[in-house]
Amino acid sequence: MARELTLVDAGHGNLGGVERALLQVGASVQVSSDPDVVARSRMVVFAGQGAFAPAVARVVEGALGEALRMVIQRGDPFLGISLGMQLLFDGSQESDSVEGLHVLPGLCRRFPNDMTLREGDAERRLKVPHMGWNNVEPSGEHYYFVHSYYVEPAQASDVMWTAKYANIVFAAAVNRDNVYGCQFHPEKSQQAGLRFLRAFLLGGKAA
Amino acid sequence: MLKRRIIPRLDIRDGRVVKGVHFRGMRDPEDPVEAARLYDRQGADELCFINITGTEDGRRKFRDVVRRVAPQVFVPVTAGGGVRREEDVRNLLSAGADKVIVNSAVVVSPRLITRLADRYGQQSIVVGVDVRRLTPMRPGDPVLHEVLVHGRTRSTGLDALWWCQQVDLLGAGELLITSVDAEEGRTGYDLEFTRAVARRVSTPVIVCGGVSNLEHIRQGLAVGEGEGDGALGASIFHFGLYTIEQAKRYLHERGIPVRLPARRAA
Repeated sequence: MARELTLVDAGHGNLGGVERALLQVGASVQVSSDPDVVARSRMVVFAGQGAFAPAVARVVEGALGEALRMVIQRGDPFLGISLGMQLLFDGSQESDSVEGLHVLPGLCRRFPNDMTLREGDAERRLKVPHMGWNNVEPSGEHYYFVHSYYVEPAQASDVMWTAKYANIVFAAAVNRDNVYGCQFHPEKSQQAGLRFLRAFLLGGKAA
Repeated sequence: MLKRRIIPRLDIRDGRVVKGVHFRGMRDPEDPVEAARLYDRQGADELCFINITGTEDGRRKFRDVVRRVAPQVFVPVTAGGGVRREEDVRNLLSAGADKVIVNSAVVVSPRLITRLADRYGQQSIVVGVDVRRLTPMRPGDPVLHEVLVHGRTRSTGLDALWWCQQVDLLGAGELLITSVDAEEGRTGYDLEFTRAVARRVSTPVIVCGGVSNLEHIRQGLAVGEGEGDGALGASIFHFGLYTIEQAKRYLHERGIPVRLPARRAA
């Protein structure tokens, strides 16, 4: 029996890739933007891409945000992908007006534009967004990232995996009880990404 | 640490891979879906599809290729070639591409970059810049590069370095720089130029040219040489000269950070 889950369609970003990856690891996926459907779901994935912007705030403040909180408070497995993970936190450091779901304590910050990294005997300029494959610790496995903002959780125990860009160590994946979040895109991270989704689906810690 | 990306480029004409991808085990070398799956399995960091037809029918078939490929691979897919209007961008994104390359259209209307980035997300808009090196009038004069458009058939008189900086400021998510001279001569990338761009822009730079050996790829990515964040390669991979894995091992041994193939299967 496939695990049934709801993939939340909040109207931003193409969900085709996420849906396809979830199907690949054996989930039975229902895509919905209906708060009632989301609230009734026993497993929810919320994916999004882009900045912590006012458009996103509307989702959080509306009925959909209420439904997401319900699922989380009930203790059903929840996975936030990329922007979906950032929304679990309190908000963004850059704009006080935009608030997150306050499920986990912490803020989003933007990578500075002037980061450099020493490579060999030369200095290399690092680009924003942080786009491409980066390794996470402790596993050393690579995942595909695309983001200009990163999460700084207030509580260290919420951080499951970390990654490093320039000298900034940020949360690559977070977990508290039934709530999971990943900054990377598992649906674009080949076998490592599929393993992550499979582990979430099975309800355990991702391996 | 963020790794440099190795990206096979597949040229598509009428829904088929031009010249084909020649690997053992390929049943149909010109089938884009089979080629994409193979490169995904080999550990390509991203896949790039270029439509080389200019017709409406070609565009339709190209969209269909993207639509068939996207669900089959679990890596980012970039699509471009002949993207003229916003509608083309939207169509390719909804067909499943993660990023779309715009080229000539934004030379005519630079503001289109900002509009597309606002509407579809900065990360999904790649601006392609085809550059040609100009021979200096006097020896010792600085080497200039100009931007070419319409399949490299037309000069624009735009200084390519200036244009790349504009493109960055206008909100492109990535720059794809193709050196026309290097491509024709199969001499690798135009390292001097890509390095100059990489040092001036805040977005990732992908280098494209005429790669005929692994050393060319290394040069394109190395600090102090090409300084690309990613490298595109076509025939070097398609004809089975080197696998993606061999290329990555070569780069890894020479100090270029790359994602080596997974140690275990899923």
